Amino acid sequence: MLSLELLFDITLSVLLLILAGTALHVRHLYTGIVLFVAFGLLLAITWARLGAPDLALAEAAIGAGLTGVLLLAALARIGPEPPPRRPPARALSAGVLGVLVLILLIRAVLPLEQGPQPLPGLVSAHLDTSGVSHPVTAVLLNFRAWDTLLELVVLLLAVLGVRQLQPAGYKQAHAWTLLRAWSRILAPLSVIIAGYLLWRGSHAPGGAFQAGALLAAGIVLLRLAGLLPVLRWDDWPMRALVLMGIVVFLGIAAAGAWLGSGWLNYPPQWSGNLILLIEVAATLSIAASLSLLVIGEREELGT
Amino acid sequence: MTLALASLLIPLATALLLLFLRSRAGAWVIIASLLSLIVAGLALAEVVAHGTQTLAIGGWDTPLGIRFELNLLSALLLTFTALVHLLVAVYAERSRHSQTRDTDYWPLSCLLHGSLAALWLSRDLFNWYVTLELLGLVAVAMIIISGPKAYGPALRYLLLSLAASLCYLLGVALLYGRYGVLDIDLLATMIDANHTTRLALLLMTLGLMLKAALWPLHLWLPAAHASAPTAVSALLSALVVKGPLFILWMLWSRMAPVEVAQPAGLLFALAGIVALLAGGWAALRTPFLKTLVAYSTVAQLGYALLALGLLLRWQQTELSAALWLFVLAHGLAKVSMFLAAGEMQATLGSKRVSSLKGATQTMPIAMFAFAVAGGSLIGLPPSGGFVAKWVLLQPLLADPVHWPWALGVLLGTLASAAYVFRVVALAFDRADPNPPNYNPDAFAQWLALLPALVVWGMALYSEPLILWLTEVNR
Repeated sequence: MLSLELLFDITLSVLLLILAGTALHVRHLYTGIVLFVAFGLLLAITWARLGAPDLALAEAAIGAGLTGVLLLAALARIGPEPPPRRPPARALSAGVLGVLVLILLIRAVLPLEQGPQPLPGLVSAHLDTSGVSHPVTAVLLNFRAWDTLLELVVLLLAVLGVRQLQPAGYKQAHAWTLLRAWSRILAPLSVIIAGYLLWRGSHAPGGAFQAGALLAAGIVLLRLAGLLPVLRWDDWPMRALVLMGIVVFLGIAAAGAWLGSGWLNYPPQWSGNLILLIEVAATLSIAASLSLLVIGEREELGT
Repeated sequence: MTLALASLLIPLATALLLLFLRSRAGAWVIIASLLSLIVAGLALAEVVAHGTQTLAIGGWDTPLGIRFELNLLSALLLTFTALVHLLVAVYAERSRHSQTRDTDYWPLSCLLHGSLAALWLSRDLFNWYVTLELLGLVAVAMIIISGPKAYGPALRYLLLSLAASLCYLLGVALLYGRYGVLDIDLLATMIDANHTTRLALLLMTLGLMLKAALWPLHLWLPAAHASAPTAVSALLSALVVKGPLFILWMLWSRMAPVEVAQPAGLLFALAGIVALLAGGWAALRTPFLKTLVAYSTVAQLGYALLALGLLLRWQQTELSAALWLFVLAHGLAKVSMFLAAGEMQATLGSKRVSSLKGATQTMPIAMFAFAVAGGSLIGLPPSGGFVAKWVLLQPLLADPVHWPWALGVLLGTLASAAYVFRVVALAFDRADPNPPNYNPDAFAQWLALLPALVVWGMALYSEPLILWLTEVNR
């Protein structure tokens, strides 16, 4: 007799596979994007089932939400697509290769259950001295803060890379009245929820990336409804917002190396506050960068 | 360690400042590179005096935190990165053909400098993944500076680079799942040759080889490097492909179990020989100048691959010295070659090799730079390339069993000589020289010559270089 939970998990896995396959092989790109967004939502649920609510939040906000908007915006710029033509020999060889990789992966993944996992124990042992009580936040912003700092630089580089492309503008459709009305309600909500997620991050799932993505979603909504002016890299407050996260983070790291005990060493009595400061700055930077990526200035580039 | 961190922090802070001020003044970058070079040089002196230093970031020891290690090689690579950035920045600021005026080249090159410095210092598999992401993104962003014609190669590079990152990340995840740690030295003490390890190493190697454009995964490189702005091509060939190579070398020489490394070494060495021949042949055949120089990068990376392979095959750590000498010599020579090629191509008004007809008359200094850099690539004494080849050949010639490998090196040398002389011979054909479109800029040509002179100067410091690099593995 299958338990209800197992049934749910099996359904989820099968649905995930079906959605992934159809999103790749469907005839029209638009359908593919819609399926991809659905795939992202299901993946978020999967993460939640696996006991990783932080990942679930990030996947729902970035994987399903903002990536979907980006893909649709890209679709709006490209002309009609030629019908895909796939020689059967290629499909066959891809299938054989896929099966081979699958076998290799399964043989490599199966023994992982017995592997030693010293890190979760170490993280909980040092949680008291990290300044926060949520292990994921402790890893991201204290134990492995250097990774997070570099990730913020990755996001900055994404913004800069898109800027180099000097994307051409496209005509934005006139906003639907209902959308305008809804966005007036949803945008303030996104600000409140983002603030809540940010605050929660210190003791429960949540944190800068999720909060930033939600905030960006609110900004995108307002912009699409025509209620916000164009976001420009040329305005200095915008640039300050984008750069703020890295500057604060690097500043704290360098100050620690210069005045304190070392690079990215937080003084124990301040570490909670310092982490909160970094998270607030990072949230604003992430929100600004993501909204610039999705709905940033178009026409004015390259002048 | 403070000095090394400063060498990393200076370019990063400069990039942020330039972005905030929206400044496109090259002088800032030159000053920052110079400062970073001085600090890196001091760090190198400190390491030579006091030995390897490590830093637990945030005060968290491994396996909880990330570890930085500053050994002789890392310090040398920090210095090399700053030096190359300085040389290229001076050229890019001065030359009107660098295609970098009024672009975001300046902050991006600073970010590239910072990313590389972070990569050289880190000893953590996941942190390396983040630095690889940084390198890939910054390289693509810098290629598309040159406009719509570069979009195709840049997009291909971006997609392949992302696929390679994912391959590498999957390998890291498998190792983490099996051993529960991410620090390379901790892993080296725990690792054994089982299925998971083999697959993880295979995945990481594929990803890194794709990113480093090692044969047979090099096909994206010529188009991407040839379509980038001249100054960017120089940085990409000299530095960006060396980042993944560093991680590959670390993984195999420090971490991989011997019984996996020895058979893999044979494959690496064979791929290296094929890279030498195939890259050389493609460089000999291509009609375009910058593509020729880009294919020469593919061929020259073959030497590094060969040294890595033989190092693993015979477990001879001295060969690390050959590998890193090749990287340093190739980096400097390639900067000179790309800058000279870009300067000549812009002045003579054509991207074709054939337009160089009579270039010794019209642009003698740039052609001289090209030939001098080519001399180091061939391995003519007393250049840096010669020193590297000497260190590589010594163990090969010592034992008659190894002579086939020496034959491979000889064939590779002939191939590099062929493509360098293809250009030089054409340039000496002065009967009917191709007239330049602009007045040749002599000062910019001298700046292109500078790195080539440095690589010949490397021979003067060959003894300490060989000594330091041989000690790297101990």
